[in-house]
Amino acid sequence: MLEISNIDVFYGDAQALWNISLRVARGEIVSLLGGNGAGKSTTLRTISGILKPRRGEVSLSGVRLDRIPPHQIISHGLAHVPEGRRLFPNMTVMENLLAGTYLLSAWKGRMAAVEEMGKIFPVLKERRNQLAGTLSGGEQQMCAIARALVSRPRILLLDEPSLGLAPVIVERIFEVIQKINREGVTVLLVEQNAHIALQIAHRGYVIETGRVVLEGAADSLLDSKYVKQAYLGL
Amino acid sequence: MFKILLEQILNGLVLGSMYALVASGLTLIWGTMKMLNFAHGELYMVGGYILYFAFTLLGVSPFWGILLAIGIAFAVGLFLERLLLHPLMDKPGWDVSPLVVTLGVSIFLQNFALKAWGERFKSVPYFIEGTMELAGFRIAYQRILILVVTATVMVAFWMFVKRSRFGVALRATAQDREAATLLGINAHRIYMYTFGISSALAALAATMLAPIFLINPWMGISPLLKAFIVVVLGGLGSFGGAILGGFLLGTLESLSVVLLSSEWKDVVSFAVLILVLFFRPSGFFGTREW
Repeated sequence: MLEISNIDVFYGDAQALWNISLRVARGEIVSLLGGNGAGKSTTLRTISGILKPRRGEVSLSGVRLDRIPPHQIISHGLAHVPEGRRLFPNMTVMENLLAGTYLLSAWKGRMAAVEEMGKIFPVLKERRNQLAGTLSGGEQQMCAIARALVSRPRILLLDEPSLGLAPVIVERIFEVIQKINREGVTVLLVEQNAHIALQIAHRGYVIETGRVVLEGAADSLLDSKYVKQAYLGL
Repeated sequence: MFKILLEQILNGLVLGSMYALVASGLTLIWGTMKMLNFAHGELYMVGGYILYFAFTLLGVSPFWGILLAIGIAFAVGLFLERLLLHPLMDKPGWDVSPLVVTLGVSIFLQNFALKAWGERFKSVPYFIEGTMELAGFRIAYQRILILVVTATVMVAFWMFVKRSRFGVALRATAQDREAATLLGINAHRIYMYTFGISSALAALAATMLAPIFLINPWMGISPLLKAFIVVVLGGLGSFGGAILGGFLLGTLESLSVVLLSSEWKDVVSFAVLILVLFFRPSGFFGTREW
């Protein structure tokens, strides 16, 4: 469904990604693992068009995403929950979700979509009139995921949803990710927390200093010596 | 004396409502694009001239004249943003480049008006003649009209920004452009329309005041300066601050005319500006995003 082939990405003159290729099939959860500065977020930002690859291609069901402006990408069914949530802090939870329905196709059914999010994340319904900037970290993450989901994407990119959250909350959020996936949304998940990321994923990639160093089924990655040493602290 | 004071307060509110309109355009642009628009006063001036020509050349009613002025100012705003500001955006020097460009536009438009339309001051008739008498007060209908129109436009504008698809997108872009882009919002389109709306608000203010003040190439200078004071008073980027600040400054100026004399009007406004900068530099509502 999503296919990235041989991309090189630069920040100015500094090369951040080297010949990265990865693919995500329909219905999968794929985890992208790696330490700080490995290039995980850069990969996601390239997929959603914020960065453009200097070489290689990004395509989603045959559409070349690297050839269209970033604001048009969501209309092809790809939503991106950015690193650090990036909510609109002076807008209420409700308004943040409405911003997620900006696409004309989603705007028409916005109330139903918001209602649906209230069922998945009851806490958002409770806090719908609260400013997003005043939510707790976990609530902000839920709001960010909900804001991406109201556009009814086919594939969801998640950038470090566990960052800075208490283990209980992380578990809750990963349950929701699995649930969303079961309902038919393909997921590409970036994580530093390899343990939990590989528990829910079907497959995974490990990147280091901008290169893919390992890929495979989630269980085999969990068992691999390399991942155990580098990311699980075993 | 008491009666004069009350009358002046009312006049102050009328004047203040115009300051609020002009200032809310400035604050809108600051809040979304993080730039100051020094050509805002000239867009105001253009609005005044369009109304004048709509009356003299087309002979239309005030309603259509105002609508025409707003429409043309909106288009001029779109055009200016696309042509002059868009190419500078995301380039180094954005903190200064818009100042230089809009200052250039301001000088150009002033001199264009001077060359093309002459230095003679032009006047337009009141939209509604007559005065209302109420409990011993005499208020010109024109002034009541100004207050009603401003209040209506401000409420409608606020609802639009709060509720509409465009308004939500505008505020999202102002608060986090990249996150907004990921949701499918084209920030550059938003900036263009923001500029257009801001220009239209300035033109509306000019047309409403045109019968009271005269139309001339320099008519935009004073409202722009006052709008800057208002915006600092209320907090850069704050909509509520622009409205409150506008009414406050208008009232203060009108009262100073009675208590001191009309020459002291600007002294009072700038003294207020200095005091605010001294004691509360972020304004009543603080610097805010939309």
